[in-house]
Amino acid sequence: MLRARWQRSILFRVIFSTVTFTIVFIALLGTVLFNQISNGIYREKINASVTEAESLAGYDQGQLYATQYLAHLKLATVVAQILRPSTPSVDTAPREVVLLGSLRGKEGDQTYNGASGNLDVRSVPTSFRKLVQKSTNTHWVRANVFYKNGLTQPAIIVGSEIVMPPGTPYELYYIFLLNEQQTIMGFISKLLWVTGIFSILVIGLLSWYVTRQAVIPLRDAAEIAEELTAGDLNRRMDVQGQDEMARLAISFNEMAVSMQQQISRLENLSRLQQRFVSDVSHELRTPLTTIRMASGVISESASQLDPAGQRSAELLASQIARFESLLTDLLEVSRFDASASILESKETDIGSLIHQTLDHLQPGDATQIRLHLPSEKVVAEVDPRRIERVLRNLIANAVDHCDGKPIDITLVSTQKEVAVGVRDYGIGFSEREASRLFDRFWRADPSRSRIRGGTGLGLSISLDDAKLHQGSLKAWGAPGLGAHFVLTVPRFPGIPIESEPISADPNEGKPTSFLSFDEDDI
Amino acid sequence: MTHIMVVDDDQDLAEMLGIVLTGAGFEVDLVNSGDQAITLFQASKPDLVLLDVMLPGLSGIEVAKEIRAISMVPIVMLTAKGDTHDVVLGLEAGADDYMVKPFNPSELVARIKVRLRRAPSTGTPTLRIGEVEIDQVAHTIVSRGKSIPLTRLEFDLLVALAKEPGRVFTREALLDEVWGYQNATDTRLVNVHIQRLRAKIEDDVDNPTIILTVRGVGYKAGASGE
Repeated sequence: MLRARWQRSILFRVIFSTVTFTIVFIALLGTVLFNQISNGIYREKINASVTEAESLAGYDQGQLYATQYLAHLKLATVVAQILRPSTPSVDTAPREVVLLGSLRGKEGDQTYNGASGNLDVRSVPTSFRKLVQKSTNTHWVRANVFYKNGLTQPAIIVGSEIVMPPGTPYELYYIFLLNEQQTIMGFISKLLWVTGIFSILVIGLLSWYVTRQAVIPLRDAAEIAEELTAGDLNRRMDVQGQDEMARLAISFNEMAVSMQQQISRLENLSRLQQRFVSDVSHELRTPLTTIRMASGVISESASQLDPAGQRSAELLASQIARFESLLTDLLEVSRFDASASILESKETDIGSLIHQTLDHLQPGDATQIRLHLPSEKVVAEVDPRRIERVLRNLIANAVDHCDGKPIDITLVSTQKEVAVGVRDYGIGFSEREASRLFDRFWRADPSRSRIRGGTGLGLSISLDDAKLHQGSLKAWGAPGLGAHFVLTVPRFPGIPIESEPISADPNEGKPTSFLSFDEDDI
Repeated sequence: MTHIMVVDDDQDLAEMLGIVLTGAGFEVDLVNSGDQAITLFQASKPDLVLLDVMLPGLSGIEVAKEIRAISMVPIVMLTAKGDTHDVVLGLEAGADDYMVKPFNPSELVARIKVRLRRAPSTGTPTLRIGEVEIDQVAHTIVSRGKSIPLTRLEFDLLVALAKEPGRVFTREALLDEVWGYQNATDTRLVNVHIQRLRAKIEDDVDNPTIILTVRGVGYKAGASGE
């Protein structure tokens, strides 16, 4: 999902990358800053602590030696004095003292071991003690010290060796608590965190705001372009100010206007064209009526004419009939083009419509027509005039091209669709021809197709009729193997077909579906 | 001799119609404009009017209206556009039937003969639907003591329904019975004339009691008053 958003939204991408980079940058900056500050603060404290511890240790050593010469000064008293907790004052930080018998001593004397106040003597880490024992220098370490009441405190431990008279080595540790420093560092760290998070938020918001400024007009443009594509040619972008976005909006709107003009120009042209076809067809009807009546009168008195005159009268009559059907088809086409066709659906028995069509066509005894109809009645709510016209076209075509071989007419119905297939085994057609089959006035074979007349508009009108029903008309053909035309229409108007119960390609799926019908239903 | 008035601005077509109709045994008057048509109609009192819808000056629809205002003579319209509003307008103006150009001359003659024929009065000479009494001999109808003028087609339509009071007629059946069409599907003819008939004989056109609509099927006669 994140990936999809990444790919689909510039806004998301910009904010995501800006915030990521900001987080990394601020984290680095914060770490460096924190370390610098903490080093500075602690170093000062350490220096002060070491100096103080050295001076204290020197004084303590002096006091210890003094016990050897001054009778009133008892060793135990001095040790107690050393281990006395510091008196808290304004300029001295609280400190603690630990005195431990060095393990370097021969006897390992531990008599004077002790710590000031409540401090646990085990607060001094063993590793640090080893370091102190190794040399006579002063050493320091940062460690947590703990009290007998369980309290733990950060501290600097400064250790050095001290000699307990008469000569026993001891370790003296001064412990300076770092409470104050830790409070300061805690405060600084909090400050850094707050500043960091705040900066990230601000930068995130800023990038969101800035990107939106650029992206919103783009998004609007995309939406409006989509609406234009969907057909709402009156949509325009808002033009605000004079910046680049305004320029985008202006050019976008100019494009839309020019597109709209172009489209309406073409629409006008095509409407004019349709009107023209329709008007011409209508205008031709009055003279055609006169001609037709005249031809009728001539035919009636044909017996008084010589043979040439008689034949001429026949030709006149048949050509007028052809002219008339051409005109009718032309009007039908212009009605489809103007989307003025209306479906007049009613319950129709498709089987009897097929019989009716065959009665009309009277294909003659030379052609064998095999019907494959289901035993029960197939009723669909269709426009019978249109369906009859499609069937008439398909069957007439099959009869014209069957080459003396039989024709199969199949009727199959499902819950939602009715399909009629017309299959011949005649000359068929090539793939190249198939693509032009439904074109107006296109004829597969100019040398032979005018035998039966036909206007050249039949299949085009049939296809329009099928589409008007929200159905389909599919064709399959192969040279020398014949052709298969399949009309599929919904059984109830307004519900588009979902499947085609008969496949136009006889090699596809169930081979020759009508054969299985033969066995099951007839 | 039966007298037909042909109103058409196309002189050649009018002349041709004259030739065909004369050949079929009618006496024909030719008129080329709507204005002349009314004057001539009053002078010659034809038995049927053949009327082109598209006329210069007074249009065919207006001519039909004016003729219908003064006479119940059958009117057949000629039109080049069979699928337009013009047809419905013409029928509403009072035309009984229409022919779409180019028509078959023999079909035209047949249609004219249907319009001119007197329905053979079979069975009882008087029929009744509700308040309406139909005299098949005198070709008149009386509703609540008032005589109502009907065109011959309207009369035929009413008789067809009244003759079989229980039967529901589909529009196709009525087209066959009254207009003489076979396998016709243009139901506008029936709808328009049923409306015209209702306007003349029903008390409330929106709640008809004499000619009832059977939804999805067609029409039937209302309950007989007897």
